[in-house]
This record gives sequence, structure tokens and C-alpha cells, in this order.
Amino acid sequence: MSAPALAPPAPPDQAQARAETRRERKRRERLEERDATIPVELYGLRQGTVTLLTACCVLFAAFTLVPIVWMIINSTKTQANIFSSFGFWFARPFEFFHTFANLFRDVDGDGTYARWFYNTVLYSVVSGVGATVLAALGGYGFARFEFRGARLLFAVVIAGLLVPITLVVVPLYLVYAKVHLINSIWGMIMPSMVTPINLYLMRTFVELSIPRELLDAARIDGASEARIFFRVALPLMVPGLMTVLLLSIAATWNNYILPLIIFSTNNLFPATVGMGLWLQHAGNSGDTNLFPLLVMGGLVTIIPMIALFAILQRYWRGGLLLGSAAN
Amino acid sequence: MSSSTEVIAPARRETAARRAPGGRRSAYARRRGRSGLAFVTPFMIVFMLFMIVPLIYAIYQSLYTTKLIGGTTFSGFANYSTVLRSGPFWGGVIRVIIFGGIQIPVMLAIAFFFATIFDLGVAKWGRIFRAIYFVPFAVPIVVSSLMWGFLFDPAYGPFNRFMNAIGFHNFNWLSTNLMVPAIIIIAIWEWTGYNSIILYTALKSVPRDVVEAAILDDTPLWKIILRIKLPLVRPAIILLVFINTIGAMQLFIEPTILNNYQAGVVTNTWTPVIDIYSTAISNGEYQLGAAMAVVLAVVIIAISVASLVFRNRRREFT
Amino acid sequence: MSAISLEKLTKVYSTGVRALDGLDLDVGDGEFVVLVGPSGCGKTTALRMVAGLETISGGTVRFGDRVVNDISPRQRDVAMVFQNYALYPHLSVAENIGFALTNKKIPSAERQRRVRLAAEILGLSDLLNRKPAHLSGGQRQRVAMGRAIVREPSVFLMDEPLSNLDAKLRVQMRSEVLRVHKAIGAATLYVTHDQVEAMTMGDRVAVLHGGVLQQYGTPRELYGRPANLFVAKFIGSPEMNLFEASVSGDELVLGSQRLTLGPAETVLAPYRGRKVIAGVRPEDLELGGGAGGAALGADVRVVEMLGSELHVFFAIDAPAAAASALAATAGEAEAGLLTGQTLGGVARLDPRSAVRSGQRVTFRVDPGRLHFFDPDTGAAVR
Ligand SMILES: Nc1ncnc2c1ncn2[C@@H]1O[C@H](COP(=O)(O)OP(=O)(O)O)[C@@H](O)[C@H]1O
Ligand SMILES: [Mg+2]
Repeated sequence: MSAPALAPPAPPDQAQARAETRRERKRRERLEERDATIPVELYGLRQGTVTLLTACCVLFAAFTLVPIVWMIINSTKTQANIFSSFGFWFARPFEFFHTFANLFRDVDGDGTYARWFYNTVLYSVVSGVGATVLAALGGYGFARFEFRGARLLFAVVIAGLLVPITLVVVPLYLVYAKVHLINSIWGMIMPSMVTPINLYLMRTFVELSIPRELLDAARIDGASEARIFFRVALPLMVPGLMTVLLLSIAATWNNYILPLIIFSTNNLFPATVGMGLWLQHAGNSGDTNLFPLLVMGGLVTIIPMIALFAILQRYWRGGLLLGSAAN
Repeated sequence: MSSSTEVIAPARRETAARRAPGGRRSAYARRRGRSGLAFVTPFMIVFMLFMIVPLIYAIYQSLYTTKLIGGTTFSGFANYSTVLRSGPFWGGVIRVIIFGGIQIPVMLAIAFFFATIFDLGVAKWGRIFRAIYFVPFAVPIVVSSLMWGFLFDPAYGPFNRFMNAIGFHNFNWLSTNLMVPAIIIIAIWEWTGYNSIILYTALKSVPRDVVEAAILDDTPLWKIILRIKLPLVRPAIILLVFINTIGAMQLFIEPTILNNYQAGVVTNTWTPVIDIYSTAISNGEYQLGAAMAVVLAVVIIAISVASLVFRNRRREFT
Repeated sequence: MSAISLEKLTKVYSTGVRALDGLDLDVGDGEFVVLVGPSGCGKTTALRMVAGLETISGGTVRFGDRVVNDISPRQRDVAMVFQNYALYPHLSVAENIGFALTNKKIPSAERQRRVRLAAEILGLSDLLNRKPAHLSGGQRQRVAMGRAIVREPSVFLMDEPLSNLDAKLRVQMRSEVLRVHKAIGAATLYVTHDQVEAMTMGDRVAVLHGGVLQQYGTPRELYGRPANLFVAKFIGSPEMNLFEASVSGDELVLGSQRLTLGPAETVLAPYRGRKVIAGVRPEDLELGGGAGGAALGADVRVVEMLGSELHVFFAIDAPAAAASALAATAGEAEAGLLTGQTLGGVARLDPRSAVRSGQRVTFRVDPGRLHFFDPDTGAAVR
């Protein structure tokens, strides 16, 4: 009799319980990390030293944050105030929204920031996803198959790490001129999809986290190679995929020299090249009213990347670079 | 065994695939090999088209010269001899070597210092510090150069004002003499956090019981860090030296951007990549630019190989 | 006076896990004490608290009459051999062994003398220039011991030092470890999960379970007079047979069978008319009924020939010890495992005995060799 009466409140309770456990898991992980690190006293450090070291950390954190804080503060200022007011404090009038709105307009005839930003997102996401797909397939192939020429092919790719990008970018421009890829977004996206480091990271990840026996077991069960890849390997590759995705997106997001060379239409520029152009004009002509836009543009450019890293950081496996599965 | 296998075997010597007892690859192994090839093919095709082809094309182009009158002709190593005898080009190479020679050790020292602090768990809020230090990695170099350009600006940058306020009049961070140090500061800002996190990961993989054994042996902290942990993360440090060197040799964005705050310091030949860019793209002498790029690649590869040789000679453990 | 004494030693990790609960233990001068228990029972935790590597949540650790709770492990003068040896991978064998001495600023000549001596004791003299990566498991283990003994410590701790070796080497190293222990004479606390290792090596053995000390005594005491069901089950292989029984008059009722108790009867007086758990070691079952003991009829299920002895698995109609009783000492998982296992037991017989599976046999049991345990608490009834 009382059971039905009690039933309705159950779902929210359950939801809360689930939220609890997630928080509890975080807590437990933190506590376990604490238990797993050697207590500082055992090193024979005095409290004074600990304080000093913490102070060093604070100092370097301040150094790291200075330019970003400067940018945040100055994104609220007028052009005149950027020049004349104290750099690390706010000054009236509060121009943040006005400047932000200007990002959507073509202020000086060079182009619209919003357009460049859109291009950046487009190039980064498409090439990031493409790079991840290629690296996943290739890394898996190199890590778990033996075939003629595998070593040679892999060595060639790794040697690519040593090749300066300029050695590729300059001739790319010449090749593009021949095949009409100048001012084509694919001219930007395709080369961004084949970073040797991605293949190396993915192969390392597969070698460390997907046992051969698992794949052999699936083969004995009669699964096709494609099915094994998609149903068995891929789900286990998620942290590696996320790391590669993050790195590829960041690399394209930050890329400057390739778009600088292959694009001559302002409309195709990514944000980095567009802002470079603005800065050049501001420097050359003294057109300083572009400065608030540059500050704001810089801020808008970095925020999505910081957010992306923050969101995906639990998948981040920087240790792959060292050939270990640690994060 | 039949003679046919004798003929086939040498051609296939390079393959690591398992063979059937008869010395021939089994049909199964061949099928597996084919699927392996299928997996790597997409990457390899794009890699070939957008990396290898341009590379070969660059080398090919570097052997030709285009004249206003007479068109394009094969000129052998003429472009290379121009590059090798170009004072400004080597001046740029030396500049980036000096830049890297200072920036990389300083940055790695700072990075190792903080990685050690994180690893020891000495500082409170280690997670927060790690997150903060990593932020610059997410900032495009164009943007970080832009920010630092504002901070260093000779006319109104807060850093110059600060130097003026403490008595250094007419101080200019972006002057001819200070441009390299200024870029070193920027590069340290950009890369220390990333390097520090990588080193932290490496330090974390030093087994806990090894450190505890050292503690029971009454080893002083400095000795635990320098005599036990440092040698154990040396492979990671070498890798980072390697990566950072390749990056430093290609210095381009920071000086290009800073040039807009202080005209005249960063010349067209200030770094090799700037030189290549202005030669090949701005001046249109792309064959000469290609030759410069090849020479730069050789310099980078030489430095990398030298460091690898150094690493192998000193290898003590695996 | 004991070299090491632990009093109510307790560890609660910050996750809330109570890894060790009120451990009392003393190790005499030059004594070799083994701490044994299943994995996760808190052995390593206890050892690490003695070393000073883990903070103490409660209780005291004394070396001699000195309380060392707040003394840094650096000053405790303990040497420890870790389960994974914890060798310095980048240092040679000689450097590994001599590392602690460099910290003590011992002159190089003296250091080398001591390193050579330790290497000699351990048979490492030819390997002094090797790196750990180029040593076999057994050699690494010796280096770890060498690193500990050069320090001439007053307290010697070892955490499962043999568990990473293969079975044959493990047996060989047991006597090796004891020989080294005799040579240096330091009070030693030795941790293992292997009861055979504990029984063969320890002067005294402490059985730990769920962070709680079950029994502390000589191997003979543990085997002959287990304090509770857990110790009875844990020590000895094959395990002691345990049956749920009831006491009726001067007889023990085991399913449909009745065993005459004889002199053991007085001990069981409080259990008259109630249930009790009766235990008998496999070697205390002898083939053939009749004279001088109670008889137990059984159906042979499986016969295992080991060469030197015969293990005869049999069934009787008495229920195996109930889950509740074992849970009292053994924890739930363990209890499930124990009851699930048998509705009978095993006897250890002369290999020449003619026993076949399917056969009906009668075992003779000396009632004096029976062990009794309280079904609720699991404690031995004596
Ligand atoms: N650093 C730690 N943090 C939290 N719990 C721990 C930690 N170390 C051990 N434990 C827990 O304490 C109990 C005893 O562990 P341990 O002493 O390592 O057992 P044993 O060495 O006997 O196998 C286990 O339940 C284990 O999970
Ligand atoms: Mg343990």
C-alpha cells in the first residue's frame, strides 16, 4: 500500500544519487591521489621551503596570466584608453560590447573578423576530424598488422617530423598554382590532415591499449576486419582519438604560415591571418582604431580553444608522446 | 622445397609477417597483410600527395633558375651555391641557433623545476597550477605575439613604462639588441607549461617504491631529484629538446608579428624561414626559396641526428 | 625487550578504508617474524607504517623502548626490500648496493669493502657492473637484499620479496633469505601471502585478515591450535575439513553418523544440544575403521595421486560449515567461497592405499585431533 505512494519521488532521488556518485568518484580519485603521493615531510622539506616553492608557482602563474589578464581588461577599453590608461586596470567608458559588435563588421575594408573566425572553425573542425580518422585507421594498421613495407612506410612518415613546414608550404603553393588549389579551402584542409605526429601517437596508443589477443579472439569469432575495427578497437581508442583530435584542431586553429601563403582572398583567411593583416595595416598606416578590435579578436580566438581543452582534458593523454599510456 | 619459393623468398625478405612452415606466407597472412595495407592507405595517400610530392617538387625546383629573359633553365646547384654563400641567410641560421640555444635550456630548466614541484606534490593546488600553466598551449602563436607586442610596445606598452618608471629611460624591449631576448620571453611563456606537463607525466612514471627506497636510504631531496629522477626522465628530456629544436629553428610568427610594433628591427632575412618566405613568396624567386628550404631542412636534420647520436652513445638503461 | 613492538596499530586511509585495525605485535632481537594473510588484508600497510612511509592513524610503533611514530623514516635505521625490488634502474649493481652509504658520507674505500662483502654473501660478485635491466629476477632480488644489508640496519623489513620469482627459485630463495638473516641478525618483519612461506620461514607467524590480527604464534602453534576458523582454513594445504555438527550427549552428530568423543567431551559441554563446527586435518584421517578412535564413513569422489601422498576427496552427508559461522571471521566473500567448495572433505593418505573413486570407505579419526569452533563467532572451542 505504501509502496505505490513512495514510487513517484524515486526518479529524482535516483538522479541525485547518480550525481552524488559522480561527485563522490571525483572525491575518491582526489583522495586516492593524495594517498598515492609520498607525503612531503618524507623528503625532509621544511615548511619554509614549501611556502617558498608555492610562491614560485604563484609567481609563474602570474607570469602566465599577465598577457591574458591584460587582454581581458583591455578588451573593455576604447582605443584611446588602451594607449593612455594603466594597462592592468579598467578605465571608462566600458566599450566591450561596442567592440565586440564591431567584430561583425568590415571596419577598415580588410575583412570581417566574424568571417575569419568562421573560417578558422571550419578549417579546424573539418581537418581535425579528418586527421583523427586518418590517424585512427593508419595508427591501427601500423600497430596491429604486419605487411610488406610497413616499416619503411612508417619510417617515411616519422622522417616527416624533421621536415620544416616551410619546406612543404612553399612548394605546396607552387603545386597548388598548377592544380588550381590556390584559394580553395581544400588546399588548407588536406595538408592539415596529415601530421606525422598524429600517426605516431595513435600507433603508440593502439599498441599500449589494444591487446592482440582481443583482436584474435574477435577473428576466431568470425568477425570481418572492418567490423573488428569499428566494434572492438575503436571504442577502446577513444582517449587516443580525443588526444589526436584536440591536437589537430589546435594545430589548425593556430596555423598561420600555410593560410598566409595559399590564400589571397581576404574572405578565406582564418582569424590568425586576418588579425595579422589588421596588425600590419595598423602598424603601417598608424590606423590605431584597429587596436581594440585586435585585442577583442585575440580574446575571442583563444576562448574556444581553452574551453575545448577544459572539456576534453580528461581524455588527454600527453604521455603518449613519451610512449606511455599515462596521462 | 620447390625452386619457386627460393625465387620468391629474397624479394620478400623485408616483410616481418609470419610465414607458413613451408617458407611461404600463408593465404591467411597475406589476407591480413592486405587489410593492414587497407587501413594505412588513406593516410598514406594524403601524406604522399600533400607532403612527399611537394617535397620532391621543392627539390626539383631548387635545381632550376628562372630569368626574366630566357625563361626557366636547369642550373644544377647554382641556387645552392647562392644559398651557401649568402651571409644574411647564415646570419639568420645563427640567430635562431642562439635563440634556441638559450630559450630551450632555460625553458626546460623552468619546466623541470615546476614538473618536480607538481610531482612531489609540494605546492598546494597543484591541479590548478597545472591547468593555468597549460593555458598558453591553447593560445595561437599569432595571438600570443600580438598580446606580448602590446605589452612590449615601445610607445605605450606597460613593460616599457615600467622600465621607464624604475629609471631605465628610453627602454625598448623591441629594439635591435633586445628583440631576441623579448622573443625568448614570449617563447618561454608559450611553451613552458606544455613541456612541464610532459615532464610531469614522465616524472610520475618513476616508480614510487624507487623513491621510497631512496628515502629509506636517507637520500637528500636534491639528490633524489638530480641523481634519481632526472636520469630516469632523460629520454623524455631528450625528446623535448628534439621537438623544441625543430620548432625554434623555424622561428617565424613571433618576429613577423612583432615587426608591426617596432618597424625596422626584423629584417627580411632575420630568421631562415622569414628569409625563405620573403624570397619565395614576396619576391617570387621560389626556386632560390626552395633551395633555402632544403638547406634549412638539412641543418635541422643534422642537428637532430647529432642529438640522437649523443643519446645513443649515452644510453645506459632501457 | 622487543626490537620492534606494535601496539594497537591502526591505519585508516583518507578514502575511509580501514586497512589495519589495532595490530599488536612484537618482534624480538634477531627474530624472524612473518606477517601473512590474503591479498588486501593490510600487510603492506603495516610494514610501511613500521618503515615510516605511511602516516600512523592510531597506536604506536616502538623500536626497543623508543617510540618512533614521529620519527622520519630517514632516521629510523630500517632497511626494506620492496616487492618489485625498487632498484635504481640507471645505477649498476655496485652503485645500487652502495647508494645508501654514499648518503652517509662513508669513505669510498670502506664503502667498496662493504659492497664487496655484501655481494659476496649474496653471490653477486661477478655482476657488480651490471645494470638491473640485465639481471634475472632472482639476481635483482639479491641486489635488493644487498642494498638493505650493507646498511647494517637494526630493523629489516621485507614485503613479499619472493612473490615475483618462479616457483622453483622461490623455494631456493627461502633458505637464502634465512641465511642472510642469520648473517646480519637484525630483527626482521617479513610479509607474504603464501602460508607455506610463512610456515617454513618464520620463527613466529602473525596471521592477518581484514586488517585484524587473527593469531600470533610459532608455526607449530598455528597449525596445531588454530585460534579461529580463518586461521584453521588459511594455514595448511590441503585445507582443514570443516563440518557443521551438533553435540548430543558424549557423541558428535555429523549428518547421519555419530562419533564418540571420548575425552574431548568436556570441552564441548557448553555446546551440548547445539551446533558446533568440527574440523579435522586431512592427515588426521586414516583409512580403516575399528580400534582406537571414532569411525567416519565416506564416499570417495576423486582421488589425486601426488606421488608422495594421495589426496582423497570424499563426501559425507553432513553439511559443510555454514556461511554465517565463517562470515564471522572470514568476511562474506571468503565465506561464500568456503561453503561453496565442499559437502565433504579431503584426506591425505599413504600413496600405496588402494582407494578408487566411487568406493565407500571408513576413516578412523582420533577424537583428540578434532578441532572445534563456535558457529557464531568462529573462535576455537578449547
Ligand atoms: N594508498 C591507499 N589508499 C587507499 N586505500 C589503500 C591504499 N593502499 C592500500 N589500501 C587499501 O588498504 C587495504 C590493505 O592494503 P595492503 O596493505 O596493500 O594489503 P596487502 O599488502 O595485505 O595486500 C586494501 O583494502 C587496500 O585497498
Ligand atoms: Mg602488499
